[in-house]
Amino acid sequence: MIRRSALSLAPTWPRYISRRPMLAVGAGILAFFVLIAIFAPIVAPFDPILQDPKARLQPPSFAHPFGTDNFGRDVLSRVIWGARIDLQIALIGVLFPFLIGTVIGTVAGFFGKTIDTVFMRIVDIILAFPFLVLMLSIITILGPGLSSFYIAMALVGWISYARLIRAQILVLKTQDFSVAAESLGFSRSRIMFRHLLPNALAGSLVFVMSDAVLVLLNGAAISYLGLGVQPPTAEWGVMVAEAQGFITQAWWITLFPGLAIVTLAFGFSLLGDAMGDLLGVHE
Amino acid sequence: MTTLLEVRGLSVAFRDHAEERQLLSDIDFSLGKGEILGLVGESGSGKSLLCRTIVGLMPSSKLHLDAGSVRLDDEEIARLPEAGMLRIRGKKIGMIFQNPTSHLDPVMRIGDQIVEGLRFHRGLGRTEALEEARSILGQVGFPDPARGLKSYAHEFSGGMRQRAMIAIALACDPEILIADEPTTALDVTIQAQILKLLMDLRAMRGLSIILITHDLGVVAQTCDRIAVMRHGRIVEQGEKRQLLANPQAAYTRELIASHPSLPDEEHRPLEHERSHVRPIFEVDDLDVAFPIGGGLFRKRRDFRALKRVSLQIFPGETVGIVGESGSGKSTLARAMLGLTPISAGHATFDGSVLTLEREATLKRLRSEAAMVFQDPFNALNPRFTIGETIAEVLRTQGETPPERIRERVGELLDMVGLERNFAGRKPRSMSGGQCQRAGIARALAVNPRVIIADECVAALDVTIQAQIIDLFRHLAETTGLTLVFIAHDLAIVRNLCERVIVMHHGQIVEEGQCDEIFRSPREDYTAALIAAIPDIDPDRPIGGTAVPAELQPA
Repeated sequence: MIRRSALSLAPTWPRYISRRPMLAVGAGILAFFVLIAIFAPIVAPFDPILQDPKARLQPPSFAHPFGTDNFGRDVLSRVIWGARIDLQIALIGVLFPFLIGTVIGTVAGFFGKTIDTVFMRIVDIILAFPFLVLMLSIITILGPGLSSFYIAMALVGWISYARLIRAQILVLKTQDFSVAAESLGFSRSRIMFRHLLPNALAGSLVFVMSDAVLVLLNGAAISYLGLGVQPPTAEWGVMVAEAQGFITQAWWITLFPGLAIVTLAFGFSLLGDAMGDLLGVHE
Repeated sequence: MTTLLEVRGLSVAFRDHAEERQLLSDIDFSLGKGEILGLVGESGSGKSLLCRTIVGLMPSSKLHLDAGSVRLDDEEIARLPEAGMLRIRGKKIGMIFQNPTSHLDPVMRIGDQIVEGLRFHRGLGRTEALEEARSILGQVGFPDPARGLKSYAHEFSGGMRQRAMIAIALACDPEILIADEPTTALDVTIQAQILKLLMDLRAMRGLSIILITHDLGVVAQTCDRIAVMRHGRIVEQGEKRQLLANPQAAYTRELIASHPSLPDEEHRPLEHERSHVRPIFEVDDLDVAFPIGGGLFRKRRDFRALKRVSLQIFPGETVGIVGESGSGKSTLARAMLGLTPISAGHATFDGSVLTLEREATLKRLRSEAAMVFQDPFNALNPRFTIGETIAEVLRTQGETPPERIRERVGELLDMVGLERNFAGRKPRSMSGGQCQRAGIARALAVNPRVIIADECVAALDVTIQAQIIDLFRHLAETTGLTLVFIAHDLAIVRNLCERVIVMHHGQIVEEGQCDEIFRSPREDYTAALIAAIPDIDPDRPIGGTAVPAELQPA
């Protein structure tokens, strides 16, 4: 028996992509950023944290295509190295909420009753606080830094996934194939994770993409407030924050990292829409 | 009889940049004044599309009317512009559909929906229109028309909603009524009432009716002429008695032979001796109640789905459980298999009492009993191939050694008459009948002593139904399987089962040998159910009571 993953994209998918420009552009943007992140040491012309007091605030030129910042650091190199951090933020910042939320949503939806009530009340409590305020307080308690950001994301971000998955599971568990699985003596965990979950996942996989955009912007916002990535590490949000004092004289320091954030976010959105079509979520 | 509607050489094709498919080819038929024409065919044969084409409501812009003419009262309407069609639709040709719930506006009173048509097409004033609406509701059999006018669709049962839809269609006083599977979603007794209503309306108003259905029994008892459709063509049409008695096309013969109302003499159900055998299922005074409503401030109430049900099922028997929707048939099946909590009473499986030793009994039930479901697509996990689905059962049951699983999957597919290469296919690439066979193969993978089939042929076309019934009969005869067959279709049960249990409102009203019950039912309810079975014999009146002579087609 050939075992296929839950989402078999079928062997025709190169042709499938070429027929769908949204998917192609989205995947292209993401692939571009992944590649420059991997090959940052090779493609970046300068060391991203090397200061050069003689070359402060230089506008874009042949030597520095994106110009230099107030410490004379090459903005292009910093944007390239920043891709490493920002992709990591998007990936880890989505992965843990997704995993935690999926498991909790599945269990709550499947067992219902007390378990469901308990988890859903926790969700309500978290929802009652503004998202950023909650994030900021958790990070302040844990101390500034990226790992605190990830922990805060995991503690707060799972609720969307839990609610999405739970709603799907509630529908699926009344369907005949689920009753059939029970009548055939399959264990509960098998019914939950092998029969119901793969059928419930499509919606939240699409949400992963739009969530990645939000997490990316959150990460940038937290870093901007000085609670995330610490200087002199190159991260797009930090770069925008540091350069705000110079925005009237040196627009290039904020523009290019800002563009990078927007472009990557745009790529994720396109990919999310395309995945929605692919998995039939919009039907 | 004057011809009212004449369709000649009608062809419709689906066309987009990728492909072209012929959906209707060269359709010829005519409809006389006051005539009822039955359009019969399986799903996908083009019946509904044909009627939509006639009124210019093609469901997609990729459909093209390539050739042909539609003449209504000697006026060509096939290529009429939208403005012209508005005059025809509703006013000259009214339509009713299978699912009244989705075709009635849920937030508009029934009365307003009728009045709307009266004012637009007949130009009546508000009070006149209301008066007329009341009289129409009376004609379609509303017991209290004045109250009916003020009610919303959700306040009525399915049968009454269908009557309301007929009333709306009649409001504009059309000459032709197109009824697209008007009774498919209804219980048999309600179906009989609606069909009688259509015939009465024909007699009262001289209405011409095109009745679309997949059930040859429905047309045999109501229509004057029958047209049989398949693959977008009319394969045969003619006066109903002639067509039924002497079908020309092979497909018509197959349809007639598949109709469950024909008692199948060569396949009489087996009779079993069961003097001293222990029953495989025994149910005593079983109660199942579901909580409804209830909340923080409301008192919780219970809906009793089963009330003091007792029955015994013996090994090797084929038992039918029949009843209308909501009678508790499925709940009973699920309670016997331990899939629904039991509120009171006892359920015993082969000596183990489910209510006392729950875990042990469940374990035995899971390996000795299996279930087949109504909706074949919904009953299979859409992400698994058929092979994976069956292999998973074999692995969980643990009786087949891992290296034999592949072979065993093949054998099971053989048993249900599917090619072995179906193991690699997923449900969505298969037809309903094929999915149902796969569902039966999965049930058989357990190697069960009992199979409970819950309305397992209700969603299938008649010819496929007949094949699945044959498969069950074959399995019961060759493997000694005990079969509990739940159905609302009594005709199927009569052909397949030796014993029948009739349920109504959560109780067993009657049980006994199939032959006896069908020949001489003791309860009125059973008699009404049996009388309501659509019969392929055109001279048998619908609903058991004779149709008055003046309503008989001349």
